[in-house]
Amino acid sequence: MLKTKLCELLEIEYPVMQGGMAWVADAYLAAAVSNAGGLGIIAGMNSNGEQLREQIRKAKELTNKPFGVNVMLMSPFVEETAAVICEEKIPVVTTGAGNPTRFMAAWKEAGCKVIPVVPSAALAKMVERRGASAVIAEGGESGGHIGELHTMALVPQVCEAVSIPVIAAGGIVDGRGLAAALMLGACGVQMGTRFIVADECTAHDNFKEKVLAAKDIDTLVTGKRLGHPCRALKNDFSRKFAEMEYDMTVSNEELEKYGAGALRRAVIEGDLKTGSFLCGECAGMVKEKMSCRDIIQDVVTGAEALLGGASQWLK
Amino acid sequence: MKEKIVDIIAAYKGVDASEIATDKSFADIGLDSLDVAELVMQIEDACEVEIDITPELNCIDKLVEYIESK
Repeated sequence: MLKTKLCELLEIEYPVMQGGMAWVADAYLAAAVSNAGGLGIIAGMNSNGEQLREQIRKAKELTNKPFGVNVMLMSPFVEETAAVICEEKIPVVTTGAGNPTRFMAAWKEAGCKVIPVVPSAALAKMVERRGASAVIAEGGESGGHIGELHTMALVPQVCEAVSIPVIAAGGIVDGRGLAAALMLGACGVQMGTRFIVADECTAHDNFKEKVLAAKDIDTLVTGKRLGHPCRALKNDFSRKFAEMEYDMTVSNEELEKYGAGALRRAVIEGDLKTGSFLCGECAGMVKEKMSCRDIIQDVVTGAEALLGGASQWLK
Repeated sequence: MKEKIVDIIAAYKGVDASEIATDKSFADIGLDSLDVAELVMQIEDACEVEIDITPELNCIDKLVEYIESK
């Protein structure tokens, strides 16, 4: 049976975390993942403190297992959501889109395990020195905000830089990904894209169908010009954004304005033309809707089979 | 202290220390947030000090002032 130190650290059954995807990762999805033995995570995104508290309270009603909250550090409400996390005594806090060190002392004092998403070895080392319990090394294959490095190169370099547990993310959807992540030195994985099509995920069916229909080349990265590269499925919105980005007559303000509200339009309204469907490169490997429990079982048993058979390569 | 930090940054960028402007923002001297994270780790090791990097610590002069005040 596959057990790693991540299971012990987070008091979970399987070393699988669910990514804090904006609008997708609500209390229902987070609770379902935690009930299935992984670690569910509520996306703090741009929620204000009370909106986040409502999601946390809902998740507490739906599960008695540990779950986490992802704090998007560029949120205009980051100070109040950071405070709500302390008040609600959330077991695990993950962070993205920035450097979380200014909040870490308060979270740790409140008993939270802090697990920042890091795009480089230096940032991993920095958060380790400030008391992070683990780090998520997320490669550029992932959906949403991405860094420059990719999983295969990033994970082992982060593992060498720190002595705390490393969780691999970016491009992982199945047992192959989990087995590979363990071989790279990680002790677990975080997955986003695969959970979009989970039965318990409340995202619009149009989003789910778009993920299921995706091929390997169906995502693109936009937003580099604004300093926030972001991977999404190709559609009218993302193609137009890419065009505007290379058009120097379009100002950054116009680009920002064009993107405003696009995530909500994708996830909640299922607007195939003007929504931004954030999604990883691995969408092409996601072929079936299933429950969170079945997804986690598939990932874990797949990895166990591969790892058990790995000795075939040794002669 | 200032000289030590300028030397670290010059070595990181592969340029002569005289080319490093200490009053310009890190962004203006070609360093992004990940470069700054890398440099902060090197400076912490070299100066045996903990640096809580904030948006206000955005140039070498301010960083030196911060470290000397600790």
